[in-house]
Amino acid sequence: MASGRGRIRFNVGGKIFETTATTLANAGRHSMLGALLDDSWNPRQTVEGEAAANAEYFIDRSPACFAVLLDLLRTGELHVPPNMPEKLLYREALFYGLLDQVRAALWGPFDGNRLQLVDSVSGRAPGDGTAIRAGPDGGCCVAHGSMVHVYDWMLEEHRPISLDYQQVNDVGYIDAESIVITARERLGKGDGGMGVFSSSTGELRHRFRVSHYDQVKSFTAGALSFGSSDYKIFASCKGRCNEYGIGVWDQITGQQADFFYEPPGCSLGDADKLQWLDGDKCLMVATLFPRTDNCFIGLLDFRDKGVIWSWSDAGTSVSLSLDEKRVLHAIAIEDSRSICVVNQYDDLGFIDLRSNAGGVRWSSRSKLTNRKAPNEESCYPKLATHNGQLFSSMNDGISVFCGPEWVLTSTLRRSYGGSICDFSIGGDRLFALHSEENVFDVWETPPSRFI
Amino acid sequence: MSAQKKRNFKIEAFKHRVELDPKYAERTWKVLEHAIHEIYNHNASGLSFEELYRNAYNMVLHKYGEKLYSGLVTTMSGHLKEIAKSIEDSQGGLFLEELDRKWGDHNKALQMIRDILMYMDRTFVPINHKTPVHELGLNLWRDNIIRSGKIQTRLLDTLLDLIHRERTGEVINRSLMRNITKMLMDLGSSVYQEDFEKPFLEVSASFYSGESQQLIECCDCGEYLRKAERRLTEETERVSHYLDVKSEVKITSVVEGEMIANHMQRLVHMENSGLVNMLVEDRYEDLSRMYNLFRRVPDGLSTVRDVMTSHLRETGKQLVGDPERLKDPVDFVQHLLDEKDKYDKIINKAFNNDKSFQNALNSSFEYFINLNNRSPEFISLYVDDKLRKGLKGVSEEDVEVVLDKVMMLFRYLQEKDVFEKYYKQHLAKRLLSGKTASDDAERSMIVKLKTECGYQFTSKLEGMFTDMKTSVDTMQGFYTSQYCETGDGPTLAVQVLTTGSWPTQPSAPCNLPAEILGICERFRTFYLGTHTGRRLTWQTNMGTADIKATFGKGQKHELNVSTYQMCILMLFNSADQLTYREIEQAIEIPAPDLKRCLQSLACVKGKNVLRKEPMSKDIAEDDAFYFNDKFTSKFIKVKIGTVAAQKESEPEKQETRQRVEEDRKPQIEAAIVRIMKSRRVLDHNTIVTEVTSQLQSRFLPNPVVIKKRIESLIEREFLERDKNDRKLYRYLA
Repeated sequence: MASGRGRIRFNVGGKIFETTATTLANAGRHSMLGALLDDSWNPRQTVEGEAAANAEYFIDRSPACFAVLLDLLRTGELHVPPNMPEKLLYREALFYGLLDQVRAALWGPFDGNRLQLVDSVSGRAPGDGTAIRAGPDGGCCVAHGSMVHVYDWMLEEHRPISLDYQQVNDVGYIDAESIVITARERLGKGDGGMGVFSSSTGELRHRFRVSHYDQVKSFTAGALSFGSSDYKIFASCKGRCNEYGIGVWDQITGQQADFFYEPPGCSLGDADKLQWLDGDKCLMVATLFPRTDNCFIGLLDFRDKGVIWSWSDAGTSVSLSLDEKRVLHAIAIEDSRSICVVNQYDDLGFIDLRSNAGGVRWSSRSKLTNRKAPNEESCYPKLATHNGQLFSSMNDGISVFCGPEWVLTSTLRRSYGGSICDFSIGGDRLFALHSEENVFDVWETPPSRFI
Repeated sequence: MSAQKKRNFKIEAFKHRVELDPKYAERTWKVLEHAIHEIYNHNASGLSFEELYRNAYNMVLHKYGEKLYSGLVTTMSGHLKEIAKSIEDSQGGLFLEELDRKWGDHNKALQMIRDILMYMDRTFVPINHKTPVHELGLNLWRDNIIRSGKIQTRLLDTLLDLIHRERTGEVINRSLMRNITKMLMDLGSSVYQEDFEKPFLEVSASFYSGESQQLIECCDCGEYLRKAERRLTEETERVSHYLDVKSEVKITSVVEGEMIANHMQRLVHMENSGLVNMLVEDRYEDLSRMYNLFRRVPDGLSTVRDVMTSHLRETGKQLVGDPERLKDPVDFVQHLLDEKDKYDKIINKAFNNDKSFQNALNSSFEYFINLNNRSPEFISLYVDDKLRKGLKGVSEEDVEVVLDKVMMLFRYLQEKDVFEKYYKQHLAKRLLSGKTASDDAERSMIVKLKTECGYQFTSKLEGMFTDMKTSVDTMQGFYTSQYCETGDGPTLAVQVLTTGSWPTQPSAPCNLPAEILGICERFRTFYLGTHTGRRLTWQTNMGTADIKATFGKGQKHELNVSTYQMCILMLFNSADQLTYREIEQAIEIPAPDLKRCLQSLACVKGKNVLRKEPMSKDIAEDDAFYFNDKFTSKFIKVKIGTVAAQKESEPEKQETRQRVEEDRKPQIEAAIVRIMKSRRVLDHNTIVTEVTSQLQSRFLPNPVVIKKRIESLIEREFLERDKNDRKLYRYLA
């Protein structure tokens, strides 16, 4: 290496490549190339450096892919020739242990205003997907009836998770490898509940139990939430008897850690949406129309088992006419100390978390479309937040709102597939599931390039 | 024919799946297994990484991951068993070195194996929830080497033996120790804790228990503490050299427990060298060490504090009860101040200015100063002494320092009203005799008392200063108006004192000489002329006079005497000899005062302007006095002092006490009425506590006295007893 000043020569499948140690250092020690060049595998180099300078490393792989990957190491950018299938490139990247670098070069940090539609994936199952969830590594899973279809970040479908006719209520990722599924209990079968499944093999790895007075009970598990700081899983639970409430389990041991029994006047076991608020150390629970006639949103403190804040639309209206604005989805925005809600007319509303008796402040600013009479195919709107941006699905599009006043800044829409029944953000990607056809869209932020 | 010849073309199902060589997996594994052997045998230079990586990759790709993984476990375990054997066989001292060397080898091999199996580590391992290769290598090392029967105990014994040897002064190979403990930590904190730390702490505990037992028998307290401190630093150093940082708290707490907590009582009470000796001898270094060591154990500091407190109380009690000390109040107070300084210094230098120690010091002082009921008087006398002469030529700051110290003692006093009484007396004397050394110092003291006890406490004292000032103006007015009439006659200086502001003195009769009487009358007329409705009484017992005298050989002297003495001496203008009775008849001053005056005029050497027959120290009622015309003195001005008891005599003391008690009565009553007025109904005990807390800043009222005052108030119908509950009092508006 002394003569070459750090130059290294490869013979990949018969083609000669020459590069520098600096370029290869970008691969990292824990890659095939890093190990190949490591001193422990090249004991002669240190002794007789001259001879080694002329030596070349032979690798029995495709030279075309190596060229693309070497270019990635040199520039940090990925340029795939049109005639090269992506799958082939991914396979080679996995061989060299460079898949992480490839993924980082494919799309950049998530920004709701710069999203591009990169793919639309059609599934085999008919429409009517229940939920779509983004995984932490860029993969996703889609729940249909009693099945959950799992896709990795290369959008390759893995073996689906099948629940044997139990209806899937909610899904979520603990990590890229583990998916939690909640299911409805069927009468007299003693099944349902929730479990952790492997995202790569679809196998059941752990079943979460709920025990009351030391007795294990079967239950129906609903909405899920994950506590990020203390590794907890929360799920709304309905049992046969009075075991309504929020169950808490430890993500690592899988054991039940706590149970919040439903106090009178708050429906917790039926909750549609749970959200753990890290700053306040409490859990937002929302039970909404159409599951119940009256919408209930509350914040639970598990330390003293108290409802520290709550809001309900019960009693606000006498006539339950169709025109009534109903809260259909809710999300807590901790930074602005409020809960954002949406109604059937796609109006955004905000409830102040600082006062206990406040009403919904409906925002007219967010009104974007002429109020169409909700047709049959339309889905209930959904909300999500990410890095100070607020996302709201409305019919066949997703609106992005920014800033302290939540101004509409972008709209994500595609021409077919019908209205969006669910969407999810994670792994720097946004996945949107359509209701009419079994197709979901993948939106990414392109990586920033130096030009 | 042709039809027959024509064979039916049949498409057969494709029967043979393209299958790999069935031996493929076995063959590939053999290559990899061989490579692992070569790596362990330090023979890896012939291996091709690319080939091995590709082989392992292919095995995983073709679903032989399980075979690859289990093969790895078997092969590595086999090698580790061999290694275990060679470590077991190593001779005595080489054991650790061999272990360290093999650990290094294993790590290197593990790294290379991990390189080869990188693809398996990335794909097969997470999907199948296997232990990653690196962790697997550590676990196998732990199970086959560290926890193998023959090595586990030997390793522990060797480590503990080396540490023991280092504790007894031998030099050991610290870097080897570090490598081994680091290995244990690398294997997981539980391995380090279970296989080393726990037994290490147990052995250390018994070591230090033995050592402390031995040391306490043969060392004095200071030396023991020095050794304990050194042990603690040694252990901290040991941790920094070759143990886990987290062990530091654990091992130091073992040493603290064994060497200090278990012997605390014995150490502080050690004869001739314990805490009391350290305090007495001001051994700051030892004290500081004791403080810092005892601070580390529970109840350590409270033990030190308790011993210090009881010692302080004991010595303080002796100090205030010592009859020798009581003879000299100034010395008595000075001793208190010195004692306070000494402990302040100890707390500052050795006890880190610990608040709890300062509080203990304060409470001890408060305790023993109040044991002696003459403390208020003595402290006032000390101030008197300082303000008369003690502070001459001392800078203003130093004056402040002295006064501040006095105030500190004053704060300890419970009977602050007694102090006030004495202070008033002493201040009066200073002001009237013009003996205050510094007006600023006087005022500064008053300000200090004011900030400490409030305006009420000092208003009368301040009144005294005002009187002094107005007197000067009055005298000026008097002499301007009387200018022509004074002539050669005596000059009069009058201080008009407001009754009440000054300590009341029974005005004793005194026949002034005619010359003086005349000018006194003129002053009375002048004063009452400008201030109508006032009454003047002459306090002759407090006055002074300067008189000119001519002696036998014509030498002239100016004599500075008290008013009484002046009266006596003036009698000798008309006679050379007078008997005691004649003098007594002529001026009519109280007998004890007269005797004292005569004593100072006739019996003090160098100032005996009178001669006495017979010559004796004491004055008898039938003595005769002569004008001493042989009197000589170097000085023109001769100051003839009064033989005065500076300290109060026993009856005077009783009187002051009684006056104080008398003065307290209305204060207690006022407090009771104030409380009852706002609370209307109260039981006896509550009244007593509230009265006590209200009056605390001035004195501690006696509950019996409070009860008496309540009874007196009931008699005077300020209060009544509740008809149902006799314990309750009711306020009558």
